[in-house]
Amino acid sequence: MDFYFGLAQIIGVHTLLGLSAYIVLLTGQVSLAQAGFFAVGAYVAGMLTVLAGWAILPALAVSSLFGGAVACAVGFPALRVKGLMLVIATLAFGEAVRLFFFNFDYQVAKGGVKLGPVGGEGFRQIRYFPEHGWTTMEVMLFIWGFVILAMALLWWFDRSRYGAVLRAVGEDELAAQSVGINLTAVKVSAMTVGGMIAGLGGGIYAHYTTHIEHASFGILLATFALAYPILGGLESVFGTVVAVVFVQGLLVEGLRFLGDWRNLLFGALIVLAMNVRPKGFLDAPALLWIGRIFRGRRGAA
Amino acid sequence: MFFDLIQNTLDGLAMGSSYALLAVGFTLIFGVLRRVNLSYGPAIMFGGYCATWVHLNFQAGLLALAIITIAGAVLAGAYVERLCFAPHRQGSAIAAMVASFALWMQFEEAVTLVMPSHVYDFPAMYDGPPFEFGSLTLRMEALVMLACAVAISYGLHRVLSGSRFGLAVRAVIDSPVAAQLAGIDVPRVLLQVFLLASSIGGLAGYLIVSTHTQITPMLGMWSTLKGLLAMMIGGLGSLPGAVAGGLVLGVLEAHSQWFLGPQSRDLLAFLLLFGLLAVRPYGLWRASSAEAEA
Amino acid sequence: MTRKDHPLLEVSELVTAYGKIEALKGVNLSVEQGSITCLLGPNGAGKTTLMMTTAGILKPRGGSIRFAGTEIAGRAPHAIVAQGVALVPENRLVFPAMTVIDNLQAGAYQRRDRVETGADLERMFARFPRLKERSAQLAGTLSGGEQQMLAVARALMSRPKLLLMDEPSLGLAPLVVEEIFRIIADLHMDGATIFLVEQNAHMALKVAQHFYLMEQGKVTFSGTPGAMAEDEVIRRAYLGSAKA
Repeated sequence: MDFYFGLAQIIGVHTLLGLSAYIVLLTGQVSLAQAGFFAVGAYVAGMLTVLAGWAILPALAVSSLFGGAVACAVGFPALRVKGLMLVIATLAFGEAVRLFFFNFDYQVAKGGVKLGPVGGEGFRQIRYFPEHGWTTMEVMLFIWGFVILAMALLWWFDRSRYGAVLRAVGEDELAAQSVGINLTAVKVSAMTVGGMIAGLGGGIYAHYTTHIEHASFGILLATFALAYPILGGLESVFGTVVAVVFVQGLLVEGLRFLGDWRNLLFGALIVLAMNVRPKGFLDAPALLWIGRIFRGRRGAA
Repeated sequence: MFFDLIQNTLDGLAMGSSYALLAVGFTLIFGVLRRVNLSYGPAIMFGGYCATWVHLNFQAGLLALAIITIAGAVLAGAYVERLCFAPHRQGSAIAAMVASFALWMQFEEAVTLVMPSHVYDFPAMYDGPPFEFGSLTLRMEALVMLACAVAISYGLHRVLSGSRFGLAVRAVIDSPVAAQLAGIDVPRVLLQVFLLASSIGGLAGYLIVSTHTQITPMLGMWSTLKGLLAMMIGGLGSLPGAVAGGLVLGVLEAHSQWFLGPQSRDLLAFLLLFGLLAVRPYGLWRASSAEAEA
Repeated sequence: MTRKDHPLLEVSELVTAYGKIEALKGVNLSVEQGSITCLLGPNGAGKTTLMMTTAGILKPRGGSIRFAGTEIAGRAPHAIVAQGVALVPENRLVFPAMTVIDNLQAGAYQRRDRVETGADLERMFARFPRLKERSAQLAGTLSGGEQQMLAVARALMSRPKLLLMDEPSLGLAPLVVEEIFRIIADLHMDGATIFLVEQNAHMALKVAQHFYLMEQGKVTFSGTPGAMAEDEVIRRAYLGSAKA
């Protein structure tokens, strides 16, 4: 059973990562910096629980705020660039963050053992969960509590005026501006919310893996973050979850029996998915269809 | 001190020539397709591994290895174009980018399946002593690379401005719909450009691995990132800009390595790029803005 | 070759759709060899869609387009140009960052006969002296009228058997419009077959031998200029009731 709980943990954390890219994508910004915010959250939360001895909840709150603050700071200069240039600018930022942690040493002696991040070796022994006797299931439930919270928040955003404004900016900036929408506020706020979710996800990630290193936060993770909402579709937050389950559950775990050949098929399946459903799994017609099924059932009952 | 500065600049120009070649191929693809091909570097790496495999199993001369590297990169490039870019010609640029990323994973997996060690030796292009001018030294490979970068960008410039193919490429860049109406087979031109860019990338890849005398799967990501950086610095879509951008990047890296140590070199490069983009979103040498907006 | 009883271009039951919205709902019309045929209609009637579908830029959902007896519906644009159909698109669509001469060369892209192409280039310059003056200038820097001439010349460089023109007078000053129509008449004198979309019915009446009216994706009228001038509704909508 622990295997499935572990898988659910991975899916939960990647969903947070995907959601952080989702809200930014709604405004039409393609960001490869999400892995960077995720890394910031991971290191901050890890240092707070391990070095400062904080409890997990305040540490996650602060890691989330840090992620948001960094994203906000990136959001302003990133406003000046659009389209593919933004992709490259955010990629550069994400790589800069990764390389920062590659060079980052901050060790404190605790009970005769030196703890803390050591450059390329990474940050080991983030053992809050095992030290406090959490079981895999408890950690999994803890993670999914946050996932559901984040999804509910974004789902609510989507229904509110704020969501409409985000999408308006994403569809046509000039038109949005001409009806009085403040582009700066909208884009930077979306970036900030995305950064907060990524920072939270990173903080959780640091604690369930117990060992983080710069190499985990590279362009690979950044593209995964982007791939989830793109694969899932931008119509609804549920698309992102479906995509994470598809990628992490079905592809990464489900294809494990293929051993070394897994990534070959993995790549092929993503390309196939993009070609068959360029607007994502849950595009507008698919959602309509699902909605009809649910309504149909309710009608029959 | 003064000599160090000059030596650093020379080393930077040497490294920068390889960036310049990578950027020229990248620029060609970006200029025509307006899409970021994350698999550009991995396709080059694939070509390099093809040549390494031949080198390990057969006796092959340097020229043969260069040709195999280029052929492998072109083959991989054709695969990328058919799967990632041809299907998304009218559609989303992000979908194409995500798909090209998926193929990147495939290339890495494919080479590590066939050749599981992390590092393989690659025969050096030239193992004689470097050139010396007084106390300054310059490696032979660096000269070859610089010469290739300049020759290829000049040759491309000539082809683009003076040939029937070049006319078609410029027409497609300028207005794809008008190009179709003028009777140009646009999908075919796009494929040809992609293959041409892949062959330039393959040549760059050969020169790089034979200079480093080793190859690892990291070459893929490295090539994509350096090519992208140099293209950015040079202003998108300009071939002379790509060459200049590569050289500037190389020199900047060499100096920052000397002043700040190797650890901070790449960090500085990316921070610089991010800052540069925020200040000059369309590259150093570009005044117009319309083209960079995707 | 084309037999007398077959028109040069024959469109039947043509359907083109954008997603679920059908812009062409079964269009039937034909263009006779050597004629100037004009298509009138309000904005959004599907005129440009018809032109783009004929040129192969848009793919039809159903129906057929026969050109000189060959089916061309749904074929690639470059293959349609090779058959001898050239479109002068709405809003010109020149290559703005290329020189005038390169624009013309691009129009002759499919031709391998260098000498003949060079001769045609000179012919274009003789017909459009303004383009000759500006041959080294970037097309994007030309005036609207000059760009329109360039677009026409570029299309002619492929030596088309049928020239499609989509609103060549759009956005141009009256004097320039007159010049464009003089060119259309000249081309016709030289034997060209032209299928023209035009909002300016008064100008079109002077040159065209046959008219079609298109509304909401269907052809609703077909007839000679005389028949058109007698039709009460068309006269009021396109020629102004004052002329009645």
